[in-house]
Amino acid sequence: MIAKDICERVLREAVSTGADYAELFAEHTVQHSINMLDKKVDSINDAVIAGASVRLYKGLRSVMASTVDTSEQGLLRCARKAADALGEGTAEITITLRERLYGDIHPIRIVPSTAPNSEKLVFLKDAYFAAQEYSDAIRQVTGTFLDVDHQILIATSEGLYAQDRQIRSRISIQAVAEHNGETQTGSCNPGRRMGLEAFTDVISPKDTGIEAARQAVTMSKAGYCPAGVMPVAIGNAFGGVIFHEACGHSLEASSVAYGTSEFAGKLGQQIANPKVTAIDDGTIPNAWGSINIDDEGTPARKNVLIEKGVLKTYMIDKFNGRRMGLPSTGNSRRQSYAYTPTSRMTNTYIAAGTDTEEDIFSSMEFGLYAKAMGGGSVNPATGEFNFAVNEGYLVRNGKVCEPVRGASLVGKGSDVIRNIDMVSSNLSLAQGMCGSSSGSIPTSVGEPLIRVSSITVGGR
Amino acid sequence: MDYNSFKSAVAAAAKAQGIADYELYYESSEDCSISTFRHEINQFSSSLDGGVCFRCIVEGKMGYASTEELSESQAASLVSRAADNARTLESEDKVFLGQGGQTYESHPHTCPEMAPTDLIRKMALKGDELLYAADPMVADGSEAQVVSQKMSVAIMNSNGLDLSYESGAHLFIASSVLSNGTEMATDFSLAAGDLNTMDIGATVTKSVTKAKAKLGADVAPTGAYPVVFAPEAMGSLLSTFSGIFNAERVRRGLSRMGGKEGQVVASPIVTLVDDPFYKDSIMPLPFDAEGTPTYQKNVIENGVLNTLLYDLKAAAAMGKQTTGNAAKRNYSAPVGIMPFTMYLAPGDLTEEELLQKAGNGVYITSLGGLHAGANPISGDFSLQSSGFMIEDGVKTKAVKSFTVAGNFYTLLTQITALSNEVKMPGFPGKTAFASPAVLVEGLTIAGK
Repeated sequence: MIAKDICERVLREAVSTGADYAELFAEHTVQHSINMLDKKVDSINDAVIAGASVRLYKGLRSVMASTVDTSEQGLLRCARKAADALGEGTAEITITLRERLYGDIHPIRIVPSTAPNSEKLVFLKDAYFAAQEYSDAIRQVTGTFLDVDHQILIATSEGLYAQDRQIRSRISIQAVAEHNGETQTGSCNPGRRMGLEAFTDVISPKDTGIEAARQAVTMSKAGYCPAGVMPVAIGNAFGGVIFHEACGHSLEASSVAYGTSEFAGKLGQQIANPKVTAIDDGTIPNAWGSINIDDEGTPARKNVLIEKGVLKTYMIDKFNGRRMGLPSTGNSRRQSYAYTPTSRMTNTYIAAGTDTEEDIFSSMEFGLYAKAMGGGSVNPATGEFNFAVNEGYLVRNGKVCEPVRGASLVGKGSDVIRNIDMVSSNLSLAQGMCGSSSGSIPTSVGEPLIRVSSITVGGR
Repeated sequence: MDYNSFKSAVAAAAKAQGIADYELYYESSEDCSISTFRHEINQFSSSLDGGVCFRCIVEGKMGYASTEELSESQAASLVSRAADNARTLESEDKVFLGQGGQTYESHPHTCPEMAPTDLIRKMALKGDELLYAADPMVADGSEAQVVSQKMSVAIMNSNGLDLSYESGAHLFIASSVLSNGTEMATDFSLAAGDLNTMDIGATVTKSVTKAKAKLGADVAPTGAYPVVFAPEAMGSLLSTFSGIFNAERVRRGLSRMGGKEGQVVASPIVTLVDDPFYKDSIMPLPFDAEGTPTYQKNVIENGVLNTLLYDLKAAAAMGKQTTGNAAKRNYSAPVGIMPFTMYLAPGDLTEEELLQKAGNGVYITSLGGLHAGANPISGDFSLQSSGFMIEDGVKTKAVKSFTVAGNFYTLLTQITALSNEVKMPGFPGKTAFASPAVLVEGLTIAGK
C-alpha cells in the first residue's frame, strides 16, 4: 500500500520532536452493500475508504493525526502535525523497518469486492424471499448484503512493517409482522470473516430469512412481558451479549487503566461465579471478530479473561498497557484510520459448562427465557448495563410457556456475573457490530444456555 | 488532487461514459481534539477527513458510489461503479436530482475559525482543574475535552445546482467521575460555540452536580406511576423515534403514521417542531442534501399530525411537496430523510409546577441502551433509566437501575403537561433534539 522507504521517512519525521514510539497506520477499504425493500433491490452503497494516521507516544501522552491525503507529502505533513503537537524536542530514536509476514489464518476463497452484484444478489434474494414468503402476516422485509475488504498497513518505530487484509461478508434480514394492527419485528444477521463461500459452506441464506420471519410472527402474537425481579435463562449464541455488556467492556484497558472500571485492581480475584469461564479469542479461523494482527500490529491471541470465576487478564492495547505496566494482548482495534485505536473485544464468549438445558428450565418456578437477545450498552465505571430481549418466553414450573415482548434486562455487571449459576454445553457464537470510542467494529458474542438466578426484567 | 480538479475529472468521466444526469456531493471536515487525565494532556488528535459521493440516473434508477481517494483513476471508477450499481436496482420509484436556481433563506451564524492548538490545550487543562476543584469526590477518570472543528458541504449537479456551506464550532465536554469510596457515578455536560466566550465553569458545575446527585441512588420500586422526563431523557426518546415521521418509512410500512396526516396522533397540548435554524444550532443549514431550501415546520400541531418529513422521492411517490428534509448520515450514505433540530414546543408550567402536578412518581434524567431497548417500528420501548423519585410534588432521593416501559405512539397521547423551558442537552449539530420537561401518565417502572 505504502512503500517501506516512504514509511521510514514518515516515521523519522514523526519522531523528530522526541516521541519514544511512533506508528503509521494506512488503510484502503472497499465497502459494498446491497439493500432490498418492498421485494426489490432498492439501493446500493459502494464506498472506498482510504487514509492514514500517525500516532506518537511519549511516556503516557499520546498524539494522533489523520489524513485522507496518502501521498508522501500528505503523510509527511500529517507526521509533522503530530510531531508539533507533541512538543519541542529532538529525535531520540532511529527508524529501520523490517517486513514481517504473519500469514493468514482466515483463508478467503471468493473475494467479494471482485464479484459482480448479481452473485451477491442470489444469496440476498434467497434470504429475502424466504422471509417474505414465510407467512401472510409478514408486512415488510428489509435485507442487506454487506461485504467489506479492509486492507491495513502498520509501520512502527520498533521496526515493524506488516500488512493484513480483513475480508468479511454478512446478510441481514429484518422482517415486520402484523397481528391485530400491532407490528413486531424479527431479525437475523449472520456473517463471517469469509468471502462469498460463507453462504454456500456455513450459512444458509434461506434459513436466515425464515428465522427473521419466524421471530417477527411469534412476537406479533406475544403479550407484554411482566416487570420485576426474576430468574432468567438466556439462550446461546447472541445471548452472549450479556457477557459482552455486563463484563466485557469493563475488562477493556480503556477503562481499567484509568480506574474507571468496577473490575480495576481485581486481577487474580474471584469476580464471577465459579461456573463462569470467559474467553476472548481473535484467532478462531474465519470467525466474524477474528484478526491476524490487531490494529497496532500485535498478533491476535486467545485470552482467557475469567477462569472458573477468577479474573485472569484484561484486554489491553499498547498505549493503555503503558499506564498499566502490562503488555498488549492483541486487542487494539479501530473502525478506520480516522479513529484512535483502543482496547476492544474480538470473539468473546462464555465457555461451555456441564449443566443440561433441562436442568436449567426445570430449576425455574417462574421466570423469563430470553431466547434471542438484542443489543445493549454499559457504563464501565458503575457497571450498570442494559440489554433488550428480542424473543422472550415466560417459564412456569420448569416449562417454557407463551412468548412475551418488550422485555429488557438491567443490572450491574459485577452482580450479574456472580449470579450466572448454571451453564449448559451448547456453546455457539453470533455476530454483531460493537460501538465504542474507536468506532464500530465487528465482534462475536457467544455462550451456551445459561441461568442468571436473579435479575431485573423491564416490562409492563 | 484537490476537490475542484476532482470535480472536473468527474464531469469529464461522466461525459465520456454518456451519463447525463448526475450529482457530486462533497463533505470535508477538520478536527482537533485534546483531552486530559489527572491534570495532564492525555490524548491529542487532529484529523482531516473528507470524501465525495457521486450519484447518477441510468435507465431511470439512481446509482451511488463514493470515495475518499481523490484521483484521476478514482474519478472514472466512481462514475462506472455508480452506473453499474444503478443497473442492478429494481425499485420502480421515480428518482430526482435537485433543481438549480432556487432561493434560500439566509441565517447568519457565527462560525468560529479553528482554535489554535495552544488555546485548546489551555482550555482543556483549565477544565480539568475546574473539575477537580468542583468537589472533593471528583475522582480520576474525570476528563475535560476540547474540540475545534470545521466542516464543509458542497453539492453540484447536472441541473445547474451548485451550492456550498461551511460551519464550525468549538466544543467543551466535561465528563465527571465521582466516587464516595464505595461506589462511582458518572455524567457529562457539553457546551458548544466559541472557546473565547464559552463559560466552561458552568459546564463543569453542571456535569459534576449531575454525577454527584446519582451517588447513593436506590433502585426504584416496581409499579405504574406518573413519569416526568427531563429534557435529556425526552431528547433521547425523540431521537430514537423521530423516524416514525419519515415519509419514506411510512410508505414502506415501517411506521404507524401512515394515513394519519390531518388526524389526531397526540395529546392536544403537543406541538412538535422541526427547525433547521434553531437558535442554538451550530449548523443552520439553508439547503438539504438534495439542494432543496429548508424551512421551519410543525410536524405535530396541537396534537394533529400536520406533515411528515419528505424528500423529493417520497414526496413524488406520495403526491406531496418535499419538506426539505433530505439528509445523508455521512457523505457516502444514500439520501434519506432526517429532521434538523426537532423539539417539543414548551408548555406553560414551571418545572416545579410540573412536579407538583405529577404528585408521586419518577423523574427520569437519563435513558440508556436506546439502540437496543427501543423498537422504532413497533414503538415499544423498555429502557434502562436513572433519575429521582417525586414525592408530594418534589424531587427526593436518587434512583437508578430501573426500566421505564411503554410505547412511543401511545406516549404521545399520554403527555399531560410540558414545562416552559426547552433545553438542548446534546450536540447541537445538523440533526439534534430538544425538549422541555414532559409529564407522561401511564408508563410502567420495573425496579425492585
